[in-house]
Formats: sequence, structure tokens, C-alpha cells
Amino acid sequence: MRLGALGAALLVGVAGCGTGGGGESIATKDTLVIGVAKDQPGLGLRKPDGTFAGFDVDVARYLAAHVENKPKKVVFKAVQSAERESLVRSGKVDLVISSYSITPERKTKVAFAGPYYVAHQDTLVRQSDTAIKNVRDLSGRRLCAVTGSVSWQRVTVERNVRAQLVRVPTYGDCLTKLTDNSLDAISTDDLILAGFAAQKGRAVRFVNAPISDERYGVGIKQSDVTGCEDVNKAITSMYLDGTAGKLLTRWFGTTGLHLTTTVPQFEGCG
Amino acid sequence: MTITAAPPSRPPARRGGVARAIRIRSLPGRIRAIAFLAVLAVAAVFAVAGLAVQDARDGLRVIGHDAGPQVVATGDLYFALSDMDAQLAAVLLMGRENLGAGRARALQVYDQRRSQAHRALLQGSNLAPDDPAEQQTARSILDALGRYEQLAGQALQLDQRQSHAAGPPSQEVGTLYGQATDLMKLDVLPKAYNLTLDNGTTVRRTYESKHSAVLAGRAWVLLVGAVLLIVLIGLQVYLAVHFRRLVNPVLALATVASLVLIAATVGLLTSEASHLRKAKDDGFDSVLSLSRARAISNNANADETRYLLQPSLADTYEQVYLDKSQEILYVPAGNLAIYYKQLDQRLAGRSFMGFLGVEAQHVTLPGQNAALDRTLRGYQGVQRDDGRIRSLATSVAGRHAAIALRMDTASRDFSTYDQALVSLTAIHQKAFTDAIRAGDDGLSGWNVGLPAAAIVIAVLVLAGVRPRLSEFR
Repeated sequence: MRLGALGAALLVGVAGCGTGGGGESIATKDTLVIGVAKDQPGLGLRKPDGTFAGFDVDVARYLAAHVENKPKKVVFKAVQSAERESLVRSGKVDLVISSYSITPERKTKVAFAGPYYVAHQDTLVRQSDTAIKNVRDLSGRRLCAVTGSVSWQRVTVERNVRAQLVRVPTYGDCLTKLTDNSLDAISTDDLILAGFAAQKGRAVRFVNAPISDERYGVGIKQSDVTGCEDVNKAITSMYLDGTAGKLLTRWFGTTGLHLTTTVPQFEGCG
Repeated sequence: MTITAAPPSRPPARRGGVARAIRIRSLPGRIRAIAFLAVLAVAAVFAVAGLAVQDARDGLRVIGHDAGPQVVATGDLYFALSDMDAQLAAVLLMGRENLGAGRARALQVYDQRRSQAHRALLQGSNLAPDDPAEQQTARSILDALGRYEQLAGQALQLDQRQSHAAGPPSQEVGTLYGQATDLMKLDVLPKAYNLTLDNGTTVRRTYESKHSAVLAGRAWVLLVGAVLLIVLIGLQVYLAVHFRRLVNPVLALATVASLVLIAATVGLLTSEASHLRKAKDDGFDSVLSLSRARAISNNANADETRYLLQPSLADTYEQVYLDKSQEILYVPAGNLAIYYKQLDQRLAGRSFMGFLGVEAQHVTLPGQNAALDRTLRGYQGVQRDDGRIRSLATSVAGRHAAIALRMDTASRDFSTYDQALVSLTAIHQKAFTDAIRAGDDGLSGWNVGLPAAAIVIAVLVLAGVRPRLSEFR
């Protein structure tokens, strides 16, 4: 039956094409490793008992539980800003949900589902420092620059404001240095600042002059288009069933921030 | 005793048949068993071919007549909605001065876009016929649009009464516009855009499953068809040996007919798979990218107006403008000044990414290259205007000139770019429509032809063995 063998060979060949390359999709996994921040109060914070808490963490839990057809277990992994792209690309984490702004630069390395929220960049200064009224007043002042974060570039590169950069590894370090007078301002997403402001009470204040839209995306491998589409569907249902509104209110309701509770415009997969 | 006593099918048909054939001792019994096998193989060819044809039909329906056109419909909806807010911003910015095409014209376009959007939304079932979540989305867009129009109406009325020179309107009008544009940008437009993406997802997934199903079906037709031919030739040989006749003409006819049917089916499935691929790769993918590019371009263009209209948010509008520009055409640049420079440098060599970058790297259709060139030149023109507007707007003295430029030259240049984008899309749209029509045409008649051919072949097989069996009466 040589013809039969030919047919069988054809079948195998076709089946090979059908799976479409690019490795395993998160759609087929039972457990997802999700990268979150460990040092951002309100968004992603590791508690002394080792568990994580925050808006991003709750979003991660919801999305994993609502990925179409197949709810998943979640293992959280603390990630630093600078290592997010490489962790996604190497597959060490399946998704990154850690106030991860979608930027054209990053899109050349990873794909983004979402955004699941659009935050705005603002500036946090010491309560006593009344000279800083908008981003241009940061000229000549000491600005915190967290490695791997794009926020300080929005000030010094995009806005061309000549601030002196003080490089630190995390936003927690920024805050310490702000309160002990080693730097003058932290400029980053209002959701991140809100969490810190809540910790420090009246020692710090918002400048309240937003300079950008920060679209928080779910970082995922570029090859996993199906997984990205599934995450988008889950984000849509998170807004349709009211969960997004509840989570935003739970974590940021008392900060006085203006919260948007309608689904953001997605980036699109692939 | 007649040959037609052979039952057409039984559940464990083939194995049972083979087993019986092996045990059958009498010559007529064996002939009957082989003929039965042949008829069974005909039925199998019919079944696998029918399934593959159905897969092709389903693929063409979803991609060509369902989700595919909905991508265009939702893209048009987004454009209408986004342009409403762009026109509103323009009217409020020009105040009592008739800059560019003038206030009356802008209001007229606003009304046009509003009725386009309403028409599209009221036919919401066309946007999402089968998906309750998408229908819910279409309804909530309509609700939010109602609130938007109310705010826009109030802003327009108040602004006209207050009559101001070109520039930001009064604080009250600014607040009303702020609420209106937030509603549009944060609530209405994202939903419309996500509808387009949803339909794109449906098309992509349908294509992946149906295209490979058609090719798998083709392999099955080849496999089962080979079995049919082997059985028919085996029967021919068996008869020749036992009845000492060289050829059974009727059976030979059945064999030739089978060969023709198998070849035609394999040919059909090959061409259907290729029509699906062309519709997707040359047509749909580009239509989707370009309609997203158009949506984002229009919105970015409005951000340029809003940058002048709401000075307190100018920084944000400048940043989102850069973000959107890089989504449309990506060159590495941390700020707009570098972006303009990089754009000029890389445009000729076509070394850039983003929506237009992907299109520039996939030129397959006649006329596409020229249309792409016009689009890219148009885009460059738009960005040059943007640079001039922003450099004028940084000084108090230049603000009026910036607004005049925005309303006049920049607005015309944007239309040129937008029209080029529309013509480029039309080329891909035509490739899409042609491929879908070719696919539909190829399938026409197969609903009747396939079963008819199967019946004819089965009858020929039976008619071929019948005279030999009658010799045993």
C-alpha cells in the first residue's frame, strides 16, 4: 500500500502545519507563573508571610481564573522592572502583571495583552517643597530614576527637562531617599505614587500635573497570540462583570485619584 | 439472487466486510464482497470530501461574509466616532474665527459623522450578530454616545454665546469639553476598537482551524481515494482472471470516473485553501492593520488639536501623540523631535516598523507599492506639519499661527494622508473580496455534484459486476 503510506505521510505533514510554531500557549497550561512587583504598595507587595497583595495581584488572579474554557492556578514570582522582558522571553514567567507600561520599545521584545488599566504619570514631592508645580519645575532638581523603568525618561528625554538623575533599583528606595532629602522628586504612575503616598501620610504630596497615559499591559511572549487574545477576553469580562471597578475602589478608592472603570482600548495581539 | 442484496452500510462496516470476504468461498460471493467494498470506499470518499468542502464553506462564510466584513464595519464606526470629537475640538478651538474650512463646515461634518455612527450602531446586530457580549457592547456604546452628544451640544452652545478668538475656550466650555472627550476617549472609542479586534480574532482563529482542516481533508481524500482505486482495479483484475475477459468496460468507466472525482476534489481543496490564504494574507490582515492605523491616525490628529485646546493637558497629549505615531510607524525615538528626524531618514529605505512598517514589508499586489508610497509621503507631510505646529505653539506669539496652521494646511494634509490610506486599504479590500468570491464560485455546484458523482460511481460498480453474477444463476 504505497499510496496509503503516501496519504499517511501527507496527513502527518498537514497535522504538523496545523499546530503553528512558537511553543506552548498559556491557553493549554494548568498553572501560570505570573510576575508581579514585590515592592509597590497597592499594586504588588510581598507580605512578610511570602504572599502577594495589591491591585495587579488581584487582576492576575482574576485573569488566570477567567481565561476562556480553562481556569488556571497561579504561582506568583517577584520581578524587578529591568528583568521583565527577559523573563517573559525566556519563559521563566508566563505573564507579567506589574504596572508594566506598554511602550513601542518594549513591544519590539514582548507582546502585550490589555491594557487592563490606563494610569497617568504624575510627580510626588515632599510636602514642604512647594516650588514644584509641574514637570518643568524639575529642571535642576534631583529626580529618582529606577533602573528598567521608563518614567524618568518621560521627563528627561520626552519632555527634555534637565533634571539630575539619582539612580536606584526600586521605587521603595526612591521614597526613602525622597523623605531623607537625598532627592527631590519621584515622577511615575499615579497608581504607584498613590500606594507610597498612603504609607508616608502627610510627609509627601502629589503635584497633580499628569504628563502621560501609562497603559498597563499584560506582558506575554510574542509568539503566543492565542494566549494574548484569551487574556484580552478575560479583561473584557473583568470590566463587564464589574470586578475591575470593585478592585480599583478597593485599592485606590481612598486616594482621591480619578479612576476609570470602563474597559481600556486594547493594544491588539499579533 | 441479485447483487443489490449487498447492504449499503453497517456500523463496523469495513472490517466486518473484509473479514467476511476472507471467509467467503464461492466465486459470486467473493465478487459481491469486493463490489461491496468498492461501494463502501465510494461512500468514504464522498464523506471525507464532503466534510472538507464543508470546512472550506464554513471558512469562507466566517472570514468572507461574517467577521471579516464586521472588521470593516466596526472600523468605520470608530472613524465616525473619533472624527466627531475631532470636529468638536476644531470648532471650539477656532472660536469665532473662520479658520480652515470654517466653523459651519466642521459642524456639518460633525453631524454627518454622528448619523454614520448612529446608523452603524442601530444595526448593531450587523456588527456582532451572534455574540451577546458584543451586542451588549454595541448597546453601551450607543448609551455613552447619547451622553457625549448632550455634553457636546452644551459645550457648543455655550461657546457660541461666549464668542472668543481662536484658542482655548472659556473654562466652563473647557470643562464641558473635557468631560465629553473623556467619555469618548475612555468609554466609547475603546469599546469600538475592541470590537474590531474581537472580529479580527474570530477571523484569525477561523482561518487557522479551517485552512488546516481543508488541507487535512485533502490528504484524507487522497488516502481514501487511493483505497477506492486499488479496490476497483483489484476487482477488475479478479474478474479478468476468473472470467478470462480483458476489460470490464463499465467497471473501467467507474475507475476513470473515480479518478476524475478524486483529482477534481483534490484540485478544488487545493484552490480553496489557497483562496482562504490569499483572502487572509493579502486581503484581510492588511485591511485590519490599515483600518487600525486609520483609527489611531484620526485619533492622533485629534490629539494635535486637543494639545492646542487644553493647554493644561498639553504634556499628556504630546506623549500620547508620540505613542500613537510610533504605533502607526515605529522608528526608535524618545521624543517627537527625534521622531521627525528618524522618520525623514528611514522613510526612503523603508526601515521602520509599526502598522505601516508591516505593510511596507509585505508588498504582493499590483498598485500596492504606489499606494503605499503615497500613504508614506502623506504621513511624512502630516508629521512635518505637526513639528511646525508644536514649535509655533511653544511661544505665546506663535500660538495663533499654530492654530491657523492646524485648521488649514495641517487639516488638508491630513485629509491627503487619510485618502491615501483609504486607497491603499481598497486595494487589499479588493484582493479580499476577489479571493472570497473565487472561493465561493469554486464551491458552487459541489453540494449537488459530489453526491451525484458518488451515486453514479456506485451504480457503475454494481452495473459492472451484475452481468458476471448473472452467469451463476
